[in-house]
Amino acid sequence: MASVKKKICLLGSFAVGKTSLVERFVYDRFDEKYLTTIGVKISQKTLPPIQVPNSGQMIQHTFLIWDIAALSKFDSVVMNYFRGAAGALVVADLTRPETIGHINEVCDRFKSISPDAIVVVLGNKLDIFKEDKKTLSALKTTAADYETDFILTSAKTGERVEQAFMNLSQKIGCPQ
Amino acid sequence: MSDALEQLLAYKKLGTVVFDEQFHIVEADKRAQEIFVSIGPRLSKSNLLDFFPELIGSEEFIKQIIHQQKSDFYLEFINRSTDDERATYFNLLVLPDEQPNHGLLILENVTDQALAAQELNQQRYELFLYKSDSEFRKQFLSESILGNSEAIQLIRETIQKLSKFPSATVLLMGETGSGKNLAARVLHYSSMSADAPFVEINCAALPEHLIESELFGYEKGAFTHAVTAKRGLLEEAQGGTLFLDEIGEMPLNMQAKLLNALETKQFRRLGSTKSIEVDIRVIAATNRNLQNEVEEKRFREDLFYRLNVVSMTMPPLRELGADIMIISEYLLKLFNVEFKKDVKGFTEDARQILLGYSWPGNVRELSNCLERAMIFADQDTLDASELIISGTQARPGKHQAHQWTVPPGGIVLEDVERQLIFSALEQSGHNKSKAARLLGLTRDTLRYRLDKYQLS
Repeated sequence: MASVKKKICLLGSFAVGKTSLVERFVYDRFDEKYLTTIGVKISQKTLPPIQVPNSGQMIQHTFLIWDIAALSKFDSVVMNYFRGAAGALVVADLTRPETIGHINEVCDRFKSISPDAIVVVLGNKLDIFKEDKKTLSALKTTAADYETDFILTSAKTGERVEQAFMNLSQKIGCPQ
Repeated sequence: MSDALEQLLAYKKLGTVVFDEQFHIVEADKRAQEIFVSIGPRLSKSNLLDFFPELIGSEEFIKQIIHQQKSDFYLEFINRSTDDERATYFNLLVLPDEQPNHGLLILENVTDQALAAQELNQQRYELFLYKSDSEFRKQFLSESILGNSEAIQLIRETIQKLSKFPSATVLLMGETGSGKNLAARVLHYSSMSADAPFVEINCAALPEHLIESELFGYEKGAFTHAVTAKRGLLEEAQGGTLFLDEIGEMPLNMQAKLLNALETKQFRRLGSTKSIEVDIRVIAATNRNLQNEVEEKRFREDLFYRLNVVSMTMPPLRELGADIMIISEYLLKLFNVEFKKDVKGFTEDARQILLGYSWPGNVRELSNCLERAMIFADQDTLDASELIISGTQARPGKHQAHQWTVPPGGIVLEDVERQLIFSALEQSGHNKSKAARLLGLTRDTLRYRLDKYQLS
């Protein structure tokens, strides 16, 4: 079985829950207290093996997860955070629809550095989201812009967090 | 490396690591070792990527730098903080080395800059939250009740549930200084829009004859000095919350009038015949046992039931365990800003005092104690000798000591110790951590003594 290290970025506006998603996925914990992220913190987690459909080969990804602070500028220093990434989870806060509007900008910047990288769009804070069609529709449209899926998650309860990372692993391992 | 460059690196406290094009470390200087020692194992002559996974994914780009096809690769504010909350941030710069086919990695510790940036960002974020009007804001507000204990989590959950019912009357109970006022504010701001009024009246602070005019307002000429009409607090709270603090102190005749206003949702200003309708939430707070006050006929039973739709009891500080330190550290930060000091924490003795004292005045008393200590503090950490509790200077383990005397016939010391341990266990409901705190012992020491006296 092939074992492969992949660099993954967590992107999105401030306080959408990027750090909480990493904490939930890697350490299975959640902290109510919000502390702004500065710079970047890298965590590592090995995912369950996946099978490549055409070859039948099994591969196992170890994700180097880059939890990147919300960015207000995109200079060359910041762009280095994106360099060499195989994928990104781009996160919006379902209770703040304006954060969905920020996804395009960050995705475009990310793709300009890592054009072959896969992105998956996440709508986080599902536990406190009062479902409304407008928000979901905006998320769906944004995901469609990048020909990808959108997944609703809750870092607080853990709902669909593992699924989100597995979805990215699947897409990286078996690109369409 | 030239002497000038070496001097510059030393002056800027920058560490250097030389590596070859297979990413093997060839040499790491003393400063790089010093910077790296706080975040990982000693840099050795093995693979650079094992020590700096931040470079994984960028290998091809870095090889281009080594071969001088690209100029540099720079990563800023790499967070290598550990789980024990020791913060470490550094910057990485990769340049081509003087030796052909080698790269030079320059390492800079930027922890202080990162923490300053974090403080600034945190303040910007909190400002944003105060101005926002979303679920997000509610979440932040509930975080302003500090602590991780079960009791505090329960308070947060209750407030979150109550925030969905903005018209529900709430009775807040708890000892003086236990945070009833804060809970009322958090509940209000979590339930209502940012511009909804929060109007507070302290029923103990106003003389009896003024409470009525303050609450209901008056018309011009209603009494001798009423030269103009005035809106009462009930009107001011329209569309928001009226917080009746120390409701247990309200005179009985006023209780009847308040009850009527709450029941009918309308009232009249003094000197007016016109009823005014109000749509408000009432939050009342008291440190008295209102049930007892009802039995003693000092509080109207009907008003008690009207207010006691949902009740919430704020836990006393002494029951919050480790939360005392969370609150203390928060207050320390505030006083550092207020008094322009840089006190970083507490000595172990001071921690024992803070955790062991019973704090009858709760957070208010803790805040006063720390404020006093911070005014006179001239060291990096606050020591037990600087904490003055209830007018006496605290000493670890002796802050509540009685004056013991040995009876003429003598005593068996171990019997006294056994009895005190037994009493502490009883007082703490057989919670060993709490019992240890009551005795000024560590949990391990208590466990040893429980075994010794066969009390476990």
